[in-house]
Parts: sequence; C-alpha cells; structure tokens
Amino acid sequence: MMSLLVFRERVKNFYQRYDIYVTAFAKFVFALITFLAINAQIGYDSRLESLPVVLGLSLLSAFTPSAVMVLLAALVTTLHIYSAAPILSLIIIIIIMIIYFLFARFTPRLGYVLLAIPILFFFKIPYVIPLMLGAVASPLAIIPTACGVILYYLILIIKTAITMQTNNSIDDILGIYTYIIDSLVGNKLMIMTIVIFALILMVVYYIRKMMKFDYVQEFSIGAGSLASILGFLISDIILAQSEQIFIMILGNIASAAIVIVINFFRLTLDYTAVENVQFEDDVYYYYVKAIPKMSVTTPQMKVKHINVKNVAQGMSRAGLQRYEDSEEEIDEDDAYFDQGSNDDSWDKKGK
Amino acid sequence: MLNNNRIRMMTKLAVYEEKEGKEDIRLSKYYKTDYVRYQAIKSVICATIGYALILVLIFMYQSEYIIKNAVTLDYKTIGIFIAGFYIITITIYGFASIVGYSLKYDRSRKKLGRYYKMLKRLEKIYNEETPES
Repeated sequence: MMSLLVFRERVKNFYQRYDIYVTAFAKFVFALITFLAINAQIGYDSRLESLPVVLGLSLLSAFTPSAVMVLLAALVTTLHIYSAAPILSLIIIIIIMIIYFLFARFTPRLGYVLLAIPILFFFKIPYVIPLMLGAVASPLAIIPTACGVILYYLILIIKTAITMQTNNSIDDILGIYTYIIDSLVGNKLMIMTIVIFALILMVVYYIRKMMKFDYVQEFSIGAGSLASILGFLISDIILAQSEQIFIMILGNIASAAIVIVINFFRLTLDYTAVENVQFEDDVYYYYVKAIPKMSVTTPQMKVKHINVKNVAQGMSRAGLQRYEDSEEEIDEDDAYFDQGSNDDSWDKKGK
Repeated sequence: MLNNNRIRMMTKLAVYEEKEGKEDIRLSKYYKTDYVRYQAIKSVICATIGYALILVLIFMYQSEYIIKNAVTLDYKTIGIFIAGFYIITITIYGFASIVGYSLKYDRSRKKLGRYYKMLKRLEKIYNEETPES
C-alpha cells in the first residue's frame, strides 16, 4: 500500500509540475477517441474521416474549453448524418437543441458526460460514468447522464433509420421520422437504462455521504456496481433480453475497477497545481510562481554500494577510528559504514 | 523594500481572482434579486424555446393526421392543452432556477466574504508600510 501511495505522490508531483501540458494532452486524447468513435459509428462523410481533419479538430479541442469540444462533436455528428440523409440531420439538430435548452445548460461543467456516455457505451463500459459521478459530483449530475443515454440511443436509431431510407419523397421522410420518434419515445431499454444509471449515482452518492467508516469510497463504488448489475438483470428479465448478461456483468466489474483506480488518483479535486500569477503595487511588478508543498514526501533513492573494496575500506576506517580516534569524515557512499563505525557495538566488539 | 508577508497575501488573492474567484467577482456586480431574476428569465426563455421545439416535433409527428382533419379539429381544446402545459413547464423552470441560483449566489457571496476580509488585511499592511517610505 505504501508503495502505491508513493507512486500516487509521484504522479501528483509530475502533474503539478507539468499541469498545462498534461491537461492539454489528456483533452487531446479524449477528443481523438471521441472523433474516431463518431467516425467509426456513423462515418458517412469521408471528408470528415480523413486524418488531418480528425487531428485538427482534436488539437483545437485540446486548447479550448470543454464546451467547444462538445459543440464540435455535435457538429461532426450532424454533418455525417447530413451527408447521408439531410432531413435526418435536421431532426438531430432539433433534438440536440431540446436537450440543451431544457436540460444540459444547467450543468455546463459536466458537458463531457454527454460525450463520454455514448462513447463508453461502444466500449461496453458506460457504467463508469454514473459510478464516477456518484463518487465526485452531486445528484444533479443525473441530468447530463440521462441526456447522454438518450444521445446514445438516438445514434443507434439514426443508424438503422439511415439504412431504411430509400428515396426522398415526403411520405418516406415522414415514415422515417415517425419511426425515429416511435423508437425513441417507446424505447423501454433506454428508459430502464436512465433509471438504473440514476439509481447507481444515488447509491454511490448517499453511501459516500451518509456512512462513515474506512474505505467508504471503495465500498460505495462496489455497492453502486452491485446495484447496477441487479438493476440491469431485472430490466433484462422484464424486457426478456438475455444475450448480453455476461458482457454486462463483466463491464460492470471493469467499470468498478476503473473508477476505483481513478478515484485513487483523483488529481483534479484535491490538488493545487503550480500557479503563475502576476500583480503589481506602487513600486514593483511581481511575477510569482507558487508551487504547492507536498503532503507525503517521496523517499529519495539511496544507492548502497556493497562490494569488496567498500567493505574493506569501511573495515579499515572502523579500525582507524578505534585506534586513532580520528575525525569523522562522512562520505555519501560510505555513510552506512561510517554509521557502523560510530556505533557502540562496534567498539565493544573490537575491545 | 519587499514585504514577504504582503507578497504572500497578494499571491493568494491573485490566484483566487484568476481561478474560482472569477465567477464570484462577476456575480458580485449584481444584487441578489437582480441576478436571480435575470437567471430565471433566461431559463424561462430557454424552456420556451425547448417547449416550442418539442411542439414542432409533435406537429411533424402528427402532421398527417392534422392535415387530414384540419377542418374538424377542436382547436380550442388543443390550444388550452398547449397553453396549460406551457404554463406548467415555465413555472417549474422558473421556480427551480430561482431556488437554484439563489443558493449559488449565497455560496459565492460567502467565498467572496473571505476574499474581502483578506483584501482589508492587505490594505492595513499597505497603510502601515507607506508612511515609512
């Protein structure tokens, strides 16, 4: 456990020192995964799939606030759908706007959640988000979680709708449109998922808040994933679906593990990074770099040389001290032996 | 002469101003009632837009039926329904944002209080210093 704590301290230290670069890099990777996942799922427009475009968009999102990235992802999704079916993209825009105006605008800092849930769904571990939000956020986070789930199912429905499209007559478009709304509103699986995610979030949040004992964080995450497994089992029974149970349980266990690891390293919440500030008074301009003090000190590497030469040297020095009582000179490499020679036991043994 | 104590204080204040304090200082320019009212109006407008968009979706969904029965539809009842749901929606959104943003304002005020206390202390140090120089 100690070595883990030390490792965490090292990571923290690194993060504090290179805060700007690490954050930008993490955002870049997240954006890259997002755009690649969008391209893999609904990549209808080959121009948007080209590597320079994806890299450019990811770079842009690395250096801008999170809202820009969410906006870009929405834009890319809409453009992909536009190239396959222009009318459908209009519907997507309307639905995204409804989600924004009625729900998402109240939790601007959790914009990432909207993107992360559909993406993690494709990796089969969407449970990470409610577990994580339960561990770090307030129950208000249920709103973006639910929106994320809706977006995921919307994308799935759109994918099938696009394959259905044959020609552009009004009747056809209306038919596709009613299909989308029918399958979105009447999607019991989606509603179940939203309810269960909300449940997970509440379970984790309330256990974390209400109970006080050691490892309550880990316990609450475990309880959350247990609630998730039970909830999805019940929903599978109700909806008579049985093919994904094994994947669901595995995904839950993996999610719990991931969340526990993230929780252990939780850097963003209780850290203070290096701050560069500037201010002035009447006489001076100040450019101050404030570096936070570390709470747990990492042990310094100490190399002990044990070989014949050193041992011999140490022995002879010990001998010297015994007989001639000379002044101590402490060498870095030989510190161990010097200590030994200063020790009373050595002297007694000699005498 | 450099006063280390003062520099430490100024650094803390500057860090606060740059990070979390940005929002608090922005909020402090409003009175509470003004701020809460402004935010409530904003969310009511957003709820209105969202509601209108949902209506558009429903209209499109039912367009076949609506066009077929355009003459015989009971517009009065439909209008009452739409208006009724609209009033319910904006009431919920309005009240929720009044409560939510009041809490937010109070919290930010509390944080700002600490900031002002520190500013005052800084001023005191500053005043003690200036006569000497």
